[in-house]
Amino acid sequence: MPEPSDQDPDRPSQSLDADRLDTLVGAVARDRDRTAFAALFRHFAPKILHYCLRLGADRSTAEELVQDVMLTVWLKAGSFDPAQATVGTWVFTIARNRRIDRLRKEMRPAPDPADPAMTPQSHATPEESAQLVQSSRHLQEAIGSLAANQSEVLRRSYFLEQTHEEIAEDTEMPLGTVKTRLRLALGHLKRSLGDKA
Amino acid sequence: MTLPLHHPEDQLLIGYASGQERAGKSLLVATHLAYCPDCRRRVASFEALCGSWFEELPCNDHDGLDALLDRMDGLLAAGGAPAEAKPSRPLAAGSLGGRPVPEPLRSWLPEAIDTPTDDGSWREISKGVWLSGWERTLSGTTICLLRMASGAPVPAHRHTADELLLVLQGAFSDEYGSYALGDVAQYVADTDHHAQGASEEDCICLFLLDGELIFLDEEGNPA
Repeated sequence: MPEPSDQDPDRPSQSLDADRLDTLVGAVARDRDRTAFAALFRHFAPKILHYCLRLGADRSTAEELVQDVMLTVWLKAGSFDPAQATVGTWVFTIARNRRIDRLRKEMRPAPDPADPAMTPQSHATPEESAQLVQSSRHLQEAIGSLAANQSEVLRRSYFLEQTHEEIAEDTEMPLGTVKTRLRLALGHLKRSLGDKA
Repeated sequence: MTLPLHHPEDQLLIGYASGQERAGKSLLVATHLAYCPDCRRRVASFEALCGSWFEELPCNDHDGLDALLDRMDGLLAAGGAPAEAKPSRPLAAGSLGGRPVPEPLRSWLPEAIDTPTDDGSWREISKGVWLSGWERTLSGTTICLLRMASGAPVPAHRHTADELLLVLQGAFSDEYGSYALGDVAQYVADTDHHAQGASEEDCICLFLLDGELIFLDEEGNPA
């Protein structure tokens, strides 16, 4: 495996920015570039490992999942579309799906974008299309303006899959506070729906 | 065609985006997404939120991972195709009211679900209301189809956990509104609600229930 030329023995894990990640995935897709893949691996493998360990994998299963996810990145780099998502979000969705397969032994139902029976965006009337764009922007603003303590209970509840009791114990908050913050967070997001809710 | 007006609650969409939601409700959410470009965008935003949390995870722990990278060398060289992407089921294999049911549900339903109600594939629970003989249990959630003739009310029932409906054909109404193709109705435990068919053709819904469903007699006792 080729090494990056500017390597440091301690390999300070400086984070790669979004543009750099796009470029690396592009190089893997186009040129089957192993050096670019190694850089992606160093960036994402520890995150995938932490993610799987947090969600209950043992170390060897978590390492297998790292390998599965990164192999998928290698094989499907050509299908990554920077207009749809960041590289981080794309890798997250692969990790999410693989760990549902492996840790829960469940399939994940998903719509098939190639399915002719799927209602395309273009079926929306011009008014509906404008509404779609607007509600999507409102949601992103709502996500961006979540209070830090509300975002944290959402993260623990949905991303780390902690129960309300586990969140209370980990954060030393009263259970009632956990529930209130979660309710406030969801209420904040729901307001982005405006009068459509 | 019109787009859905009634959507799953954000809890379900975030849970679906993060992977926290289990397979049963994910099947209903994913099928609603096939009908609803609005919720597809909403889920994409929630996936981006999860992606940002994923990016915040620690990036240390290189011990062992370098060795793993070396071990992947052979795999990369082999470059095999990922074993996934099972083919979509043919459109003709599942349609209701002459319209194909979208994936992922189409692959789950039996073929020719849109059969007459007197051939045994539907069980009548009260006049004009049927449950399908087809039933699945996924991660603790019972899934079947509910069919309501025009004007036929679903009999009073009690459920101790969430009930979810997704309209696949026709329309129904309850005290909260009117639901047509692709719409989702969500009822929390122990709420009173009175759905009844509200379209010329029978209304057919994907019906999800956590836990037990008990139909009640006229006095409100379990029938």
